[in-house]
Amino acid sequence: MIPWLLFILFVGLMIIGVPVGVALGAAGTLAIALANPETHWFGLMAVSQSFYAGLAKYPLLAIPMFVLVGSIFDRSGVAARLVRLAVAITGHGPGMLAVVAIGVAMFLGGISGSGPACAAAVGAVMIGAMNRAGYPPAYSASVVAAGAATDILIPPSIAFIVYSILVPQASVPALFAAGMVPGILAGIGLIIPAVWLARRSGMGAQARAEPRPPFWRSLYEALWGLAAPVIILGGMRMGYFTPTEAAVVAVFYGLFIGMVVHRTMTVRDLFPILREAGELSAVIMLVVTLAGIFAWSLSTLSIIDPITQAIVHSGLGEHGVLALLILLLIVLGMFLDGISIFLIFVPLVLPIAQAFNWDVVWFGVLLTLMVAVGQFTPPIAVNLMVSCRIANVPIESTVRWVLWLVGGMLCALALVILFPQTALWLPHYLGY
Amino acid sequence: MSPPPDRPEPDEYAAAATIPPPDPPVRVPLRFEDWITVLTIGALAVITMANVIVRYLTDESFAWTEEISIFLLIVLTMSAGASAFVRNLHIRIELYADGGPTIRQRRLAILAHGITLAFFVILTILLGRMALDEYNWGDTSPAIGVPTWWYSMWLPVLSAAIALRIAGLLRRRLQEPA
Repeated sequence: MIPWLLFILFVGLMIIGVPVGVALGAAGTLAIALANPETHWFGLMAVSQSFYAGLAKYPLLAIPMFVLVGSIFDRSGVAARLVRLAVAITGHGPGMLAVVAIGVAMFLGGISGSGPACAAAVGAVMIGAMNRAGYPPAYSASVVAAGAATDILIPPSIAFIVYSILVPQASVPALFAAGMVPGILAGIGLIIPAVWLARRSGMGAQARAEPRPPFWRSLYEALWGLAAPVIILGGMRMGYFTPTEAAVVAVFYGLFIGMVVHRTMTVRDLFPILREAGELSAVIMLVVTLAGIFAWSLSTLSIIDPITQAIVHSGLGEHGVLALLILLLIVLGMFLDGISIFLIFVPLVLPIAQAFNWDVVWFGVLLTLMVAVGQFTPPIAVNLMVSCRIANVPIESTVRWVLWLVGGMLCALALVILFPQTALWLPHYLGY
Repeated sequence: MSPPPDRPEPDEYAAAATIPPPDPPVRVPLRFEDWITVLTIGALAVITMANVIVRYLTDESFAWTEEISIFLLIVLTMSAGASAFVRNLHIRIELYADGGPTIRQRRLAILAHGITLAFFVILTILLGRMALDEYNWGDTSPAIGVPTWWYSMWLPVLSAAIALRIAGLLRRRLQEPA
């Protein structure tokens, strides 16, 4: 009876527009109080304790630091220079600007760890350029949103940090390494339909006459940006920094590029950058800690075990259950953001993964890939919201383009499911 | 290195993306939370960076900074979380609640704000009780050795601040002409 109430209340609160974190916290609190009618203070001291314990975790510090890296590189002028370099390489052929947008988004994924920040940085540069070259704005917005979704797969990634907090057996470096190849596969899965769509509709004809930027000068100007992932990922790989420290080093490196080298930022810009990063991280961390209350009530009501047993012995088999999970997560991904999905569902589905002996790192990559697809699948898609706001088009107008890109990324997902080594080879090779 | 001569022009699209929407009308200015947010996240970056530098120069690490960082992390989450409620940044499903007839939108908003307010009022009481317990037990923190209630006493204060912000949202909704 109480478990049903817990879920129904949670879903009901979400539908009437209560923020996800508060819906989790309120449903969890009520379930705890109803389950302990005779206890001192209805057992509610567990609520404040799990709220405090959920926040007082040093690994959480990686979240605000990586969000800050994204906000700083967003304004550092790095994206514009990477775009010039990429155009110098690809030229102005049909569909080539779409390749540039996806390629630069993937590269920026090696610096920042959140999709919407990447969509803002790439969109600010690319959508204007693509409009002038004759690409429809809805197409440009779709390509930018989809390209930015690879960001949470390509290390560093905030999604992997949250997964690692929930599943301590999967270390952050192992997850980062495991995301690399699937992230590149996802990018290729986007580039193929993007180019095909552009050629079919003859987009980008106006840009053919524009001169190519000179290669060597573009390379020289882009060097500062090109060095950033080397510092972040190389520093972590060589054991110089922990993930959190790598993020902080990237913060100061980004400030140096933005203020001294490219001069796109001044000291006055620091206040809005820090405020934006602080609020974005608070939104994530508040859901993290309030989800702790929900998870506590789930575990004390001991309802996870019977559900796991029922699913494992349902006769669907390993692949049937996996297919069902993917379907469920893709549908949920249309309505909820990735971090919330992780916090709600990882405690529920992890016992299932363990019952089938799935590798927790592979499973984390799989969940992240599904979340990445959800980030640009209408109607609720965080990246698409950002890029559509920049392109000034309604989200509905992107559907005819974006569904092809969704299909492309689902092919990458299928590859990672069929060949787990695509994810697991690199972390094994690096010895994590 | 000098700035490149032909810096890419900031275009009108970039401008549209970076200008934040204006803040909703509030009696107590959001600058209050904003300054706490900016100072705490800035301090977190500086402390962690200083830790890296000190470790490489002296082969020592400051364990005690971890305790300060965790405290700042809590302050950051709750202060920026409060202003995020006012700016409607928290993740929520807007499809049903912010669409449809205006009367339904208003009723749902009042209900949702009311529930959120009730939750944070209860949380404030529970966090206050927890801080009081820590005061009575007199535990000290592991790294620095200060009483733990020095940290935990701020939790009910910050939670009350969130509750007041939500009360303000609710009041504005109730005063709207129906």
